[in-house]
Amino acid sequence: METDKLFDEYYEKSLLQGGTTCCPGCGGPLFWRMTLDALGPNTIVYGDGPCAMCAIRNIKLPTFGLHFSFVADGSTGIVAALAAKGRRDITVVSSAGDGATGDISFGKVSAAAERNENMIQICVDNEAYMNTGIQKSGLTPFGAWTTTTPLGKENPKKAVPMIIAQHKVPYVATVSVAYPRDLKAKIKKAKGIEGFKYIHTVMPCPTGWRFDPAKSVEVVRLGVETWAWPLYEIEGGVLKLSMKPKPKPIEEYLRPQRRFRHLTKEQIEFIQREVDARRQRLLENDGKRIIL
Amino acid sequence: MEFTRMMEGNEAAAWGAKLSRAEVIPAYPITPQTELISHIATLIARGEMKAQYIKVEGEHTAMAAACGASAAGARVFTASASQGIAFMEEALWMPPGRRLPIVMCMVNRALAPIGGLRPDHNDALLQRDTGWIQLYCENSQEVLDTIIMAYRIGEDRQVYLPVAPCYDGYFVSATAIPTTVPDQGEVDEFLPPYKHEMYSLMPGDYRRPPFPLNIAKARYEVQKAMERAKKVIEKVDREYAKRFGRGYDGLLEEYACDGVEAVLVTMGSMTGTARDVIDEMQAEGKPIGLVKLRGFRPFPTEELRELAKKYHVLGIVDRNTSYGSAGGGVVAMEAARALYPLDDRPLLLNFHVGLGGSDVTMRQIRYMADKVLETLETGKVEKEVEWVELLDLGEVM
Amino acid sequence: MSQIVRAFRPEVDNEKCVRCGNCQTFCPEGTVMVTDEGVVFDYRYCKGCGVCANECPVDAIKMVREA
Repeated sequence: METDKLFDEYYEKSLLQGGTTCCPGCGGPLFWRMTLDALGPNTIVYGDGPCAMCAIRNIKLPTFGLHFSFVADGSTGIVAALAAKGRRDITVVSSAGDGATGDISFGKVSAAAERNENMIQICVDNEAYMNTGIQKSGLTPFGAWTTTTPLGKENPKKAVPMIIAQHKVPYVATVSVAYPRDLKAKIKKAKGIEGFKYIHTVMPCPTGWRFDPAKSVEVVRLGVETWAWPLYEIEGGVLKLSMKPKPKPIEEYLRPQRRFRHLTKEQIEFIQREVDARRQRLLENDGKRIIL
Repeated sequence: MEFTRMMEGNEAAAWGAKLSRAEVIPAYPITPQTELISHIATLIARGEMKAQYIKVEGEHTAMAAACGASAAGARVFTASASQGIAFMEEALWMPPGRRLPIVMCMVNRALAPIGGLRPDHNDALLQRDTGWIQLYCENSQEVLDTIIMAYRIGEDRQVYLPVAPCYDGYFVSATAIPTTVPDQGEVDEFLPPYKHEMYSLMPGDYRRPPFPLNIAKARYEVQKAMERAKKVIEKVDREYAKRFGRGYDGLLEEYACDGVEAVLVTMGSMTGTARDVIDEMQAEGKPIGLVKLRGFRPFPTEELRELAKKYHVLGIVDRNTSYGSAGGGVVAMEAARALYPLDDRPLLLNFHVGLGGSDVTMRQIRYMADKVLETLETGKVEKEVEWVELLDLGEVM
Repeated sequence: MSQIVRAFRPEVDNEKCVRCGNCQTFCPEGTVMVTDEGVVFDYRYCKGCGVCANECPVDAIKMVREA
């Protein structure tokens, strides 16, 4: 078939093999395609365990992984080996989900940041343990249903990018697959910086967030437009908002996701106030040094 | 140039890593391993050793970083002890399955609770099922030599397994004996640079080992490698002895066994004390010998069966416990399995001693040796397992 | 190759299509391509998630139930 040939040629050139095992509408392969586009072939990818692994399996570059709870550690060894061999031309990317990054291996990420290991650490944040079947993580947002928070999560989401920024690492950024140009620019920038670079990406999960897979990109775009997912970068300790959209009501982001459908009017108002307050603080600090 | 001076086990281990030209050393301090890594840090700071020393935040990360570095083509050294080994347990399963020839010293120390800081073997024996080669060393010299040999063993294409030279905290780690440090050039000739034939993580030359997807098959590969390792350990030991004048008889050593019909079987630092006791007793005309178990993984099953042809009673000394086991310590149980298929089985005694790092005294060793001789005479095992430390044997000597 | 189980498949109306490329950019699987002749899909790997149809600004892509 003519079309098949066309696509086979494309897959041949692409750094991500076609036909992943991810759920329909998963942002994982989309994110990796964009990221690998930006990084180029001279890259080693380290990571294992989370949903993102489904996409990582299809990466055609050298990959290495140990297990779920191993974040930023094997990559530390790879970075050291490259240093021992004098290979400064290779980019090391280390990837993990939100649960691994924010919960079980939080100390490892923090330590790698403190040692300023020369790697790009990526947190693929789908806001729960999705691979095991939607269990609450430290990065699950307030109010969200998961199988371990059937009444909604009681506590707010852990602000990992801001915590990592306080390690005085050279570069921290949040990205979203709904904004490919912004995403690629940030990945390219991270590649050019020496030291520990932290990229936090929102990962739309139709299965765990309970929405129509067709709305995958739309939902994360709404996340940015409602300021639930502000996009920013922290370079040399200075905060810079990547975009400052006119805020849409948070309900527009929450409504398509059935993990929030049980929320009361009061709870939604509470979330709105929290988002507004954070937006205010982000705007106040835009362009300023936020590291003490 | 080769030189000899007083050296503690930990310093000897640091020299072993330096002479082996370890390139990446991810390590986290824990008593009694700490001097080892501070020696390495000093050697690097002085410019005498060229290696990437990663000061990681915990043992779990240390072993993970070791895996990453090894897969990326670097020769890796690390060390831990006790709780540290227990903490990295999850990571310890990775290098055998991934076939990464990392070398890690296990500086034996009792586990908590009621552990303290002194040695017993439960920390390393806890890892017996993970697929690590375990070689138990008696003194500083053996530690240094074993580390150099460990790289040759682990990096052998027949093997590709991680190796753990184990040695007792304090009794070896902090006890200085005259130790010979071989010439770097000689070591370089003995140990060529590391090149993994299965792995390459380098872009453009990416190679992954063809792991069988079938789990049983993958595990069987490790089992086969472990079996092949026996021959490799012996071969490397012979070559080492030929070049450097020191050998350790591969997986087990028979000491003063001429004409005896009963032996004590020891592991680790207590062997040194036992040698003295055996010498004394033989001078008194008591026919007892000593077998030092050097390799616990792979277990020298065939070698032990050979011994069984000569000796009628084996007194196995276990510096470990396995609560509620089929009977006795870990080494005794392994030995029992090894000997069971024989038609003419020797009698087996098992002693628990030196637990939690208490001294294994000459008097205790003499007591155990006497029990073995007594059994040889009566032909009856009076007590299968005995906790020697609970007995009041009087003065230490 | 295993068969993809898909309830809906995307189909394009190339008359309506404005060649903006959104479908190609946002397809999670990389199974949409804008060519000179119009939009084509790789039905071997397309999972029928419908992101392309949702992102299309002119509703040129319709999700059609598989027979």
